Amino acid sequence: MGMPAVAIEFEDIGLTFAPASAAPTVALEAVSCRFEPGKVTALIGPSGCGKSTLLQITRGFLDPTRGRLRFVERSDDRVTARPAMSTVWQAFNLFPWLTVMENVAFGLDVAGVARAERDARSRRAIVAVDLTGFEHRYPRQLSGGMRQRVGLARALVMEPEVLLLDEPFGALDAQTRLVLQEQLAHLVETSGTTAILVTHSIEEAILLADTILVMTARPGRIAARIDVELPRPRSVATTRDPGFAALFDRIYSLLRDEVMRAMVSGSEGA
Amino acid sequence: MDTPRPKEDVAGTQARPAATMARSLLDDPRVLGWGSIVLVLLFWELTARLTGVSALYLPRPSQIVVALVYLFGSGGLAVDLGVTLWRIFAGFAIALFAGTLLGLWIATSFRTRAVADMFIAALYPLPKVTLIPLLIIWLGTGGPFMLTISFLGAIFPIVINTVLGVSQCDPGLVLAARDLGATPQQIMRRVLLPSAIPSIFAGVRLGLGVSIILVVAAEMVVGKTGLGARLYLAGQILETEQVFAVLIVLAALGIVVTKLQDTIDASLGNWRTD
Repeated sequence: MGMPAVAIEFEDIGLTFAPASAAPTVALEAVSCRFEPGKVTALIGPSGCGKSTLLQITRGFLDPTRGRLRFVERSDDRVTARPAMSTVWQAFNLFPWLTVMENVAFGLDVAGVARAERDARSRRAIVAVDLTGFEHRYPRQLSGGMRQRVGLARALVMEPEVLLLDEPFGALDAQTRLVLQEQLAHLVETSGTTAILVTHSIEEAILLADTILVMTARPGRIAARIDVELPRPRSVATTRDPGFAALFDRIYSLLRDEVMRAMVSGSEGA
Repeated sequence: MDTPRPKEDVAGTQARPAATMARSLLDDPRVLGWGSIVLVLLFWELTARLTGVSALYLPRPSQIVVALVYLFGSGGLAVDLGVTLWRIFAGFAIALFAGTLLGLWIATSFRTRAVADMFIAALYPLPKVTLIPLLIIWLGTGGPFMLTISFLGAIFPIVINTVLGVSQCDPGLVLAARDLGATPQQIMRRVLLPSAIPSIFAGVRLGLGVSIILVVAAEMVVGKTGLGARLYLAGQILETEQVFAVLIVLAALGIVVTKLQDTIDASLGNWRTD
């Protein structure tokens, strides 16, 4: 896989859900931002701020009601087609009736990739997420952390130019989450893929991201853009870096206000 | 299954090995099940012999066994069993194939669903035996009639359960498949259909039961061959042993079908998420 060369640009993107039977909801309001190729950008914000909606728009599963989404060639600024993307889901979304191997091979299989190549690539992805020996297990036989590693392998095997991570560790316990964050940081650093990470965790955002976009409470907008200059590879040890603490405090103070706002408007709405 | 029993041994009593063994035998559900059947048969045999009740009303189990052996040996009961099984499973197989496809279509198309809902609501609660006279007028009493009656018994539960299973598919799985590049047809075949299989199988259970009932009932009304026809004829000429013999074959068929379904059910464990 060559270095990804396509940046993703949001220009004044808004999304309003207007169901026939209820008042319209403004999920996103005038979001403008740019996701740099080969970089990890984290989206962090209070619940319901439209982080996941933004990811769905990027993936093409939702159309914005205003603004435009552009994919731009880095070399010459030309607009280009949507690059190959894969998503890792908070709920894992593994097919329970398929083995680990079959889950990982699913995307290649539906794309009609020949069996030999499909098997070889799936096996490599399974090795990359450290699940060798579990190829023929079913998802229900695996722990949550292992299931999400299958989810990661299933996305990575497609060799996406853009990896979309939708709160990938949200359903895991704190210890498993730490280990997987380190593994993911390593995988993303070595693959050089563009990644967009939606998360609730400030720590996760700092450990994984090159850039952090802090979002406001609904309707979602970008409140701040923060570059993370901490050296790579990052690990749990990074959390003891004074730079980490400073970043953490800065993001926390930004988020605190938004979370409070979200709680107040949430109780009004209820 | 281990249900705790109240402890009977009070301090001071000695261990009684024989009693303990009898007790542990009584804890085995298979021993209880088969043992009670043997007991009932013994009781039946003895009271029939002692009271001297006429075999016309209540033949003894030993007489029924003799009838059963005779019917299978030279009476052509095996052929009747084969004919009945063919009628049941041919119609059922068509219903399974068509019902699954139809269910998938109804569950994924808003318009099809709106139309089908009305027809299902009208036809599903209708006792299918009431269709026998009309079907005879249309199809006569031969193979097509039997196939249709078995088909009608199974198709509704299969369609309804397929629709249910597909509608209950985790939307996250569909999203994941889309994300991995699956086309709508691939999502239908490789996500919606497999995720509905446990539910479809519940429909198969119900449908097969209705098919069996309908085919045997239809045979009783019009058949010259088949278990139902055999049962009816034996009743007409007061061959009570033969009536019982056919009933036993039907009961055995029920046991085999149920156990087979239990086995398939157990193998659906992979569909569980936890």
